[in-house]
Amino acid sequence: MPNTYGNRTLTEWLTLVLGVVIVLVGLFFVIGGAQLAMLGGSVYYLICGVVLVASGVFMVLGRTLGAFLYLGALAYTWVWSLWEVGFSPVDLLPRDFGPTLLGILVVLTIPVLRRLETRRTLRGAV
Amino acid sequence: MRRSHLLATAACVTLACAPLAANAQFAPAGSGGSPTASVPGPGNADEPTATTPASTSRFSGPSPYAPQAPGVNAANLPDIGSMDPNDVPQMVPQQSAAPAQGDWSAYGRDDSQTRYSPLSEITPQNADQLKVAFVYHTGSYPRPGQTNKWAAETTPIKVGDGLYMCSAQNDIMKLDPATGKEIWRHNINEKYEAIPYTAACKGVTYFTSSQVPEGQPCHNRILEGTLDMRLIAVDAATGNLCEGFGHGGQVNLMQGMGESVPGFVSMTTPPPVVNGVVVVNHEVLDGQRRWAPSGVIRGYDAESGKFLWAWDVNNPNDHSQPTGNNHYSRGTPNSWAAMTGDNALGLVYVPTGNSASDYYSALRSPEENKVSSAVVAIDVKTGAPRWVFQTAHKDVWDYDIGSQATLMDMPGPDGQTVPALIMPTKRGQTFVLDRRDGKPILPVEERPAPSPGVIPGDPRTPTQPWSTGMPALRVPDLKETDMWGMSPLDQLFCRIKFRRANYTGEFTPPSVDKPWIEYPGYNGGSDWGSMSYDPQSGILIANWNITPMYDQLVTRKKADQLGLMPIDDPNYKPGGGGAEGNGAMDGTPYGIVVTPFWNQYTGMMCNRPPYGMITAIDMKHGQKVLWQHPLGTARANGPWGLPTGLPWEIGTPNNGGSVVTAGGLVFIGAATDNQIRAIDEHTGKVVWSAVLPGGGQANPMTYEANGHQYVAIMAGGHHFMMTPVSDQLVVYALPDHKG
Repeated sequence: MPNTYGNRTLTEWLTLVLGVVIVLVGLFFVIGGAQLAMLGGSVYYLICGVVLVASGVFMVLGRTLGAFLYLGALAYTWVWSLWEVGFSPVDLLPRDFGPTLLGILVVLTIPVLRRLETRRTLRGAV
Repeated sequence: MRRSHLLATAACVTLACAPLAANAQFAPAGSGGSPTASVPGPGNADEPTATTPASTSRFSGPSPYAPQAPGVNAANLPDIGSMDPNDVPQMVPQQSAAPAQGDWSAYGRDDSQTRYSPLSEITPQNADQLKVAFVYHTGSYPRPGQTNKWAAETTPIKVGDGLYMCSAQNDIMKLDPATGKEIWRHNINEKYEAIPYTAACKGVTYFTSSQVPEGQPCHNRILEGTLDMRLIAVDAATGNLCEGFGHGGQVNLMQGMGESVPGFVSMTTPPPVVNGVVVVNHEVLDGQRRWAPSGVIRGYDAESGKFLWAWDVNNPNDHSQPTGNNHYSRGTPNSWAAMTGDNALGLVYVPTGNSASDYYSALRSPEENKVSSAVVAIDVKTGAPRWVFQTAHKDVWDYDIGSQATLMDMPGPDGQTVPALIMPTKRGQTFVLDRRDGKPILPVEERPAPSPGVIPGDPRTPTQPWSTGMPALRVPDLKETDMWGMSPLDQLFCRIKFRRANYTGEFTPPSVDKPWIEYPGYNGGSDWGSMSYDPQSGILIANWNITPMYDQLVTRKKADQLGLMPIDDPNYKPGGGGAEGNGAMDGTPYGIVVTPFWNQYTGMMCNRPPYGMITAIDMKHGQKVLWQHPLGTARANGPWGLPTGLPWEIGTPNNGGSVVTAGGLVFIGAATDNQIRAIDEHTGKVVWSAVLPGGGQANPMTYEANGHQYVAIMAGGHHFMMTPVSDQLVVYALPDHKG
């Protein structure tokens, strides 16, 4: 795997950056979410944070699984937020707007991740 | 309260927000730990005497018996003499008793302070044509090197051929109501140092003398109370001081107040005249020290300026002026809201605030506990209260009343009319009382409240009053799911902040081990904008705030570390804590740390919008809400203080009240989007809005000149609401009626 990002294209760079951002967001969720859970608050952030960290790590490693983990977390986020506040746009805004924007970017990385995986498979076959 | 801090914008995608939010710390304000100072017992709860040794701490203020600092007697006036209240001459009928159709004769237009005008030229159909008729500059704004403490909050009055108003620093002027041309201006030369928390002058009072014949100077007078505690009378025709009033037209209101410094005590509201008695109250800077100057209410003869009586809470039976080295009792509840007079009953309705050191009540006397955060009806013949109605018991939340009471008639049980008074509060509870005896007309329930609380020796009361017959101007108690933000990151931050604090609803007792959430906070519910009431339609208009606070008591040691000291401490430096913020509360075991319940890294409130609302209540048909919606758009607000430009009516914090007219319109600025708007009184629809040159944190007014209707608002802005400060009075009219 050392050569996964050997000759990176721009899209591969951006995918890497997105993976790092998702790891950072995930860490924020894990640390903050653990505090919140210990204070008796929602456990959503802790659970979601763990998934996000995993998602980001896999994306950094060039694994398509990372993107699908993110989309799974996003689906969880939507279900949770609708359960928590219903169809109230003002309340859905902080919960879902940013994560969905990120989700669109993540979807765009799927072909890139696929290409990376293919390249790695080919290289593994050599 | 600070201006709203809103809202995710498309410009701030999560990517951009993540690094900043990731740096956020979770440290709460203040510190934990138990108090280092022991709680003073009952024996220590008395005011220091002349022989009490002065504290040697550099964080303590001087003895109440210390001489007043230079400038406290701003005009170096001699003491004013007293006279017997029975010798007050019979008052002639005043302009404000029955204002001419096109006049606005008092702060709230008339003696009932309804803020209702019978003018009807401007209607929901033509309001969208309103244009600026003229702009007048008062000349008062922060000069280079001066801290911005400005919020003029001024409402002009209009009587006959004059529009009378004051600048934020109390210069008085008469304008031509049709053109805005200055007819005269009386400069009072107030010093910058006299500005307390805010440079504000809410208005002036028009008084017609019974002793000076018509046509003579000072037959009609403009009365004003000033930031530097002068009561001034000038001739309405010329602006010259009334020589027969006080000493050359002025009275020193710091007489008998004991030790003080400029900016500690000040007047910001127009004094009412009731049966010839001009009644003055004053604000005392919050949070400074337990033994701050007195909150005494006083009556003076409106003809001569002579002293008549004092209502001094801890000297209830002594209505005279202190003599020698004595002073009015210290630390008593102050009243800074506009008062309302009632000539028929001979009463003045005083909305009171809290005893000094707002967040700690163990040192208050039983007399103070009876009258703080209350409506007190004082007999203007004697200075003695006739009745008291309390809106929060043993208040440690700064639920002092900022609103002026509005008088109205309510149908009584047997079909007769009951003289009533509407008292809005910061709690969002609106009390409707019989003004003859202070008894509630609409039901008031005493409901259980958290008691005794957590501070040793300072128990909270087991119940608090709730006005169940009126719609509550508040949202339900906050929940973790009410936390907001522009992304899940800052929302998470606020959720943790919420969970870290004590919170058991509106009367969560103060705590020192961790912060507590205060909702409604000191800017919550109804503030000094008060309410407007249309007696024809029976519609009551109320604008209100949803702005929680995040507070914590701190030990004396911690308060010293924070550098908190009272304003009269010789070591005090401006910015070292003040009103509406961190306070030393010198003389008590604790200091206070007060912040908005917000994300300090983004400047956005932690709770979900809206942050400000406007409500119409039908008082004639069961006090039902006719309409209610958020007030103020997101155009001038956003994260990190950036304007978003969005027209979304998100509901911003608001300060300043409304006007309601026979034309079926409500005029209001108040919101932090710096707009004035006209709202259809019956539907709530915004039919016109215009952007002001500064924040519209003032009560508008409307009047008629040359046969046409004008709408005026002081766009003075507000330093604490973080809206742009200006010195401009902006006056609107329909086209072709420009001055």
